[in-house]
Amino acid sequence: MSQQTSNPADVKLLPGGDTPAAGPITPSAQPSKQLPELPKDELELFAEEFGLDPTDYKTRQSLVAAIHERRQTIAAMDREAMLDVVRWARRPVAVNLTKEQLAKEIARIRLMRFDGLSQRGLIVLGKMRGVKIQGDEQTPILVRKLKKQEGLFKRLNRKRRSWLGGMVANMIGEEPKSEYRFLPPAEAGSPGGQSTQTATPVSAENATIRDDIEESGLIGGIANRVKKTADSYLNQKLDEIEARIDRKLDEIDQRLAEWRDKEIANRIKILKITLWVSVIVGAFSLIYSYVQVYFWRK
Amino acid sequence: MPQIDFFNFFRIGLAWVVTIYATIITLQSLWGWYVWLAGSDKYVTMLRRYLILHSLRLRFWKLGLDVLICVLLTVTFGILWHAHHVIDDLKFRVQAASNVPANLKSR
Repeated sequence: MSQQTSNPADVKLLPGGDTPAAGPITPSAQPSKQLPELPKDELELFAEEFGLDPTDYKTRQSLVAAIHERRQTIAAMDREAMLDVVRWARRPVAVNLTKEQLAKEIARIRLMRFDGLSQRGLIVLGKMRGVKIQGDEQTPILVRKLKKQEGLFKRLNRKRRSWLGGMVANMIGEEPKSEYRFLPPAEAGSPGGQSTQTATPVSAENATIRDDIEESGLIGGIANRVKKTADSYLNQKLDEIEARIDRKLDEIDQRLAEWRDKEIANRIKILKITLWVSVIVGAFSLIYSYVQVYFWRK
Repeated sequence: MPQIDFFNFFRIGLAWVVTIYATIITLQSLWGWYVWLAGSDKYVTMLRRYLILHSLRLRFWKLGLDVLICVLLTVTFGILWHAHHVIDDLKFRVQAASNVPANLKSR
């Protein structure tokens, strides 16, 4: 973890960044307060979001320094490599998320089956998990380093969860994984890319139940799956309601247009009747005046 | 004692009363709409824009025939009005001619 340097010149040479940030490296989102000013629990939460274990750091200063270092590492990461990881783990994210948001999502990934993950993705994942990586390692070496970093007990627990997940998947019947799709891009104004929090029908299908259980345990995995399915159902219903409201609005607009046309036609009709009556009375009056002038005079 | 032509009296009286009444009612209504739609409230602004949109969407050619008839009737009404003036003028001249003394008429 501590092998990464905070020197910007060196940061640009970090592996996995074939096309590093074109401009200066700047963290994409700053906390509202400065890091050292944050309360301890918030600081620890912040560290966990970036994949750091706060218990590894004895003092507050060392934790702050580690967070700074991690953020600089993230800023130097290749965005495409990060998207590789997200795609491999089938995480429901928007394609336009910032590097830090992607890194937070990657930090939550606990998967240990690396099939289908590119070398640059393995490098990113390794860095986020605190593995010592030079950057020029081949894929098998990277995989070995990542597995070695996991530890025996964690590995046993994961194997147990995986076995349990496999059993549950067999019992309820697992559908094959669909093709991964990113979520719709987050709006520019939304803080922290809110779309990552809103599940869509796409996100519910992203991971299998076996992966879910392996990652979060039996209860957590099933709960995640139920939550995703419920979210998906709710979103589907919301879309239906939205479509119904749109249809109703169109209908109202159409009715208003018809009413407008009818009303104007009625007004013109009234005007026409008034003019007809005026013309008839005027003509009658003219005849009356004519008769008065030419005949009654005699 | 002045001679009163009741037909003319009714006709002219009715025309004045109806014209004034219709003008006042129309102006009152227009002013009411103007004041209401000129409000700065969010929903009034929205309604104002919606009304503009609806007026832009209005297809005049659908009402073209009726509008043309109204225009022609208005022109006819104007011609009749003018004809009234001509007849009144004629009446005035005829009355003036009938009041000429008899010795002047024989010359």
